Amino acid sequence: MKRILPFIIILGVLGVAVGSAYYFKRSSTAVHPITNTANGASPSTANSPAANSGVGVPGAEPAHKLGPDSAPVHLEEFGDFECPPCGLLHPILVQMHKEFGDKLQITFREFPLVPAHQHAIAAASAAEAAGLQGKFWEMHDLIYENQKTWHEAFDVRPIFEGFAKQIGLDVERFKRDINGEAVAQRIFQDGKRGHSLGVKGTPTVFMNGREVPFESLPAEKLRVVIQNELNK
Amino acid sequence: MTPSSRPAKRKRLLYVLIALFSLGGLADALYLTVEHITGQSVRCTIVAGCSEVLSSSYAVVAGYPLASIGALAYFSVFSLAILSLFEYQIAAKLLLPLVLGMCLVSLWLIYLQAFVIHAFCQFCLLSAAVTFCLTVLATVAWRMRSA
Repeated sequence: MKRILPFIIILGVLGVAVGSAYYFKRSSTAVHPITNTANGASPSTANSPAANSGVGVPGAEPAHKLGPDSAPVHLEEFGDFECPPCGLLHPILVQMHKEFGDKLQITFREFPLVPAHQHAIAAASAAEAAGLQGKFWEMHDLIYENQKTWHEAFDVRPIFEGFAKQIGLDVERFKRDINGEAVAQRIFQDGKRGHSLGVKGTPTVFMNGREVPFESLPAEKLRVVIQNELNK
Repeated sequence: MTPSSRPAKRKRLLYVLIALFSLGGLADALYLTVEHITGQSVRCTIVAGCSEVLSSSYAVVAGYPLASIGALAYFSVFSLAILSLFEYQIAAKLLLPLVLGMCLVSLWLIYLQAFVIHAFCQFCLLSAAVTFCLTVLATVAWRMRSA
């Protein structure tokens, strides 16, 4: 018995380790419907595209949207411009927008992670300030595409002002707006919406009111998830 | 207690401690592996560090999450410690070289976090701390074995 006892202990620990890893993986990858609602909407109503803006608190209005409101699939991304995985998701969403056209609407919500990312608020403010001049998406794209450049910078303001000039904004107005109340309120409202939906990190993406598991965000998987939603 | 049984008891205690520490390391590495597979660890959160470290190219080796290799290493240390406890001599001989190898890898990973990635992940630091404790314990056990 003494000769086989160590092997029994080792196999026991192996079983517990594999079992707990499997249990943890299952609980991590569960698809979470939005249930944390501010207006009492049920999870079932959250599954319809129209319900997307009706659960949680509303967020900044008007929201930054790509694609028509009539699109059968609505993706709502909570993003932080300084978050590397958000930077990786950016070209994927651009690709999805091209592939699915009018069948897909993408909404971007600000969710800057402070204090984890020191320039996150500045980047969100720059995008929102550009939005006040009707060029949110142009600034959004430039900020993500150059994430590695400005992420390392000590002072990001001149870089974002350079982006503003590049996309043809009134730079003086942009410099005023970036510190203005309107921009701060938009970021605050989006953050409030994120918290009301239980967003804990970025990127977090909701599709027609249900959270898309992070592991489904690579292009090849997201394409299938969207297609399945269209086939419903 | 006879004088000769005291070192044997201490040696057994060391192997038990090594087994317990390696279980702690195994739990940490398993958590990181599952987080990596499900993508949770590479999501940014309000605590900086882990997403930068775990989304870096150093977090994957030959297509496998580095954390899964760590989990395998901790499980091997646990197995060797248990076998050593039951006086399997070959296991006692293999324990220190394995732990020393893990210690060197941990030093390399701390260097990467400090000077290449410029971010620290608390779970990786916990794993390194466990490995350093294991190194001390395995070295003492080795010296007692040789004495």
